[in-house]
Amino acid sequence: MLQTLLAYRPFLDPLPLDNAWYLLVVPLSLGVAMVYKAVRITDMRSYPRQVLIMSAQTVAAMIALGLGFFSFVEFVLPMIAPR
Amino acid sequence: MTNLPTNMPPPLSPTPATPISAAPSSVTPSSVTPSSVTPSSVTQSSDAAPASAQAHLVPDTGFDPAALILAILLPGLGHFVRRQKSRGVAIAVGVLGMFFGGILIGGIDVVDSREDRIWFLGQAMVGPIAFATDYYHQSQLKVVDPSVPGNLRSAYPNEGRNPITHLPVPGGKPPNTKSISRINELGTLFSTIAGMLNLIVIIDAAFPSRRRLSRA
Repeated sequence: MLQTLLAYRPFLDPLPLDNAWYLLVVPLSLGVAMVYKAVRITDMRSYPRQVLIMSAQTVAAMIALGLGFFSFVEFVLPMIAPR
Repeated sequence: MTNLPTNMPPPLSPTPATPISAAPSSVTPSSVTPSSVTPSSVTQSSDAAPASAQAHLVPDTGFDPAALILAILLPGLGHFVRRQKSRGVAIAVGVLGMFFGGILIGGIDVVDSREDRIWFLGQAMVGPIAFATDYYHQSQLKVVDPSVPGNLRSAYPNEGRNPITHLPVPGGKPPNTKSISRINELGTLFSTIAGMLNLIVIIDAAFPSRRRLSRA
């Protein structure tokens, strides 16, 4: 593990996040919110708060969508089309 | 901020903090000074800023070709020259952060105009930075292999790259590692979304909304 870390070259080698790839939705939501709110809002004094709110809403919506689709596939679909 | 009808006489003793507003039809972008504001644009401000703060608000309308060109060259620069410094800085941090964040996540392999042309069309909207990144990837990291289309490919895990001939060297360390699976997808997604968001930024810098007032 240490040798793997020592051999890592930033921006040339990919990050070793194969087991935690889902955590990257947080910086993705943060980046989208930063650019969107920078273009849309009128008063930049509320910018940090609005960015955090939109990021939290995006992450929560993605989690809810995931749970919704999981529930549909696991519980509803077998009732509609049983094996 | 009050909206004064045009048939009312001007106030006898206006306070320094209260700007005297002209009729909305007489206000043009070239005649606007920091001390004069249009009532319609002030009332559309979402946050109730104090009257003294509204003295710094300047209507920001009209097509600016310089802002368009600068926005294409560097994310956020178009808004910066429109006297929206904080907005420009936020845009630059967001767009460039997502672009380089994608490269950090998936490696420079995510920016490839030869192997991922469709994704590169989105990444290219970040501007010359994307083209420079792709040029470096193609010319400094890939190895020459006449057996593949285009004569260029990424080095395999067990081969290096000759810096002079650019030919693969068996047994060496590759200049970069090709990412696969979800990490490659996410890295590509980060950098492509950065480009697509920058397209919105470029349009906003060139054709800003008439409802928004600029605040440096």
